[in-house]
Amino acid sequence: MTAFAAVVERYAARESVLHRADARAKVPAVFLTVLAVTSTREGDWLALALLVIPVVVGAYASKLGPWFVLRRTFLALPFVLAVLPLAFTRPGETVLTLPVVGWTASDDGLTAVATILARSWIAVAITALLVSTTTVVEILRALRTFRVPRLLVATIFFAYRYFFVIGEEAVRMLRARDSRSASIPGHRAGGTLRWRARVAGYMVGSLFVRSLDRSERVYAAMQARGYAGEPQFLDHAPLPVRQGVGAALVVAYAVAVQVGTRLA
Amino acid sequence: MMSITQAAIQVTSDGPGMHIPDGFVSAPVAAAGWVAMVGILAVAVRVTNRELNEKAVPLMGVMAAFIFAAQMMNFPVAGGTSGHMLGGALAAILLGPWAAMIVMTAVVGFKSVLFQDGGIAALGLNVLNMGMLTALVGYASYRTAEPLLRGNRTALLASVSVAAWISVEVAAVSTSLQLAVSGSSPLDVVLPAMVGVHALIGVGEGLITAAALGFIMTTRADLLPQRRPASSSTGRG
Repeated sequence: MTAFAAVVERYAARESVLHRADARAKVPAVFLTVLAVTSTREGDWLALALLVIPVVVGAYASKLGPWFVLRRTFLALPFVLAVLPLAFTRPGETVLTLPVVGWTASDDGLTAVATILARSWIAVAITALLVSTTTVVEILRALRTFRVPRLLVATIFFAYRYFFVIGEEAVRMLRARDSRSASIPGHRAGGTLRWRARVAGYMVGSLFVRSLDRSERVYAAMQARGYAGEPQFLDHAPLPVRQGVGAALVVAYAVAVQVGTRLA
Repeated sequence: MMSITQAAIQVTSDGPGMHIPDGFVSAPVAAAGWVAMVGILAVAVRVTNRELNEKAVPLMGVMAAFIFAAQMMNFPVAGGTSGHMLGGALAAILLGPWAAMIVMTAVVGFKSVLFQDGGIAALGLNVLNMGMLTALVGYASYRTAEPLLRGNRTALLASVSVAAWISVEVAAVSTSLQLAVSGSSPLDVVLPAMVGVHALIGVGEGLITAAALGFIMTTRADLLPQRRPASSSTGRG
């Protein structure tokens, strides 16, 4: 597809068991496993350790390796700030006191923070494995087989296609703004905050007009090619039973971990 | 080519803590988010399909790409930070609330799956907060103010900017509540932090949204929903 897709999907074009697996098996397996991971209880270290196993297995099975998965998962890090206060506000036995400010962290608070971060990391890693082994078109096709409304799937499909085109337009406008905004180092450049925001707003408005015009041309071209409301695919192979069973086993494992650690 | 990818990844962090990752909200809260999102989306899809037919697909898709690209349109604020917009209110004013919800769902879902910006289990909540609430609140505040102003352009744009600001604040409040209910963040810490940070982000949102709408009113007023014939209330062919 586009060059943008080539960058975003550069790992999805590789070869491995996970890459070959059908998206109709991978998408529901990932969704349900992530749900199971999110329902891990606070301080249930055994369950968390057992749930890391599928991530490690997946990292090797995809031939992307654990380092790749680790790198991909750092994107979600800034959100850590949102849970850290929990360590200091949750009542419990004090285990450490921050030097200067004198806040006290409780054992229950630290347990809660660690659990949330671990759950989140496992979920992000599982999602990263899905996206790194599956093209967007395959994911969207899988969504259609699960009755996600046609309009929504087609919208995401078109957004993915045209993001590159519209994004290039946006980058050109940003470059144009940079080249007309000369400034002397050390001197204050540009008008007031309001003025700067207005320039950005005009660019957004201009981008909207251009995008709308483009969507009309796209629609005319689609009509000329006989578009009937749904993209057509050439292969309609049913989902291989083995892959369906494989996906079900992964989900069953995650559910068994949750049920097992609750019973034990 | 790389520059777009880099810009796209940069905008994936719009302010601290709007896209909730998985594991931060409890499973029941996440599930409730999914149920609410699916219900609202079903209505949005039905309304949009009725109004636009198959024409909706290229329009909604290109508009989702537009919102994504519009989020790249940043402006320097101070000290190396920059402001940009989320676009929910603008989309709702330009396309109508239902079409805007579909567009914003596509944008939020896209970021969640491709860049892991916001979780999959938490996707329902993220779409609800950033796509649906911003569109609904932005549109409602705008439509409430609009008839009172009798075509006064400055007042209209000022009200748009306030509407966009409110939409961001409501999304921030809603995100804080979900985190607090899940027990992931104490309400008395997360609520003031989120509301405070987004009060500033919301100013950028308001200024850009008003300027963008002002630009369209001046150059292509025929594209605005109120000026179009009733038969195509959400978009031009």
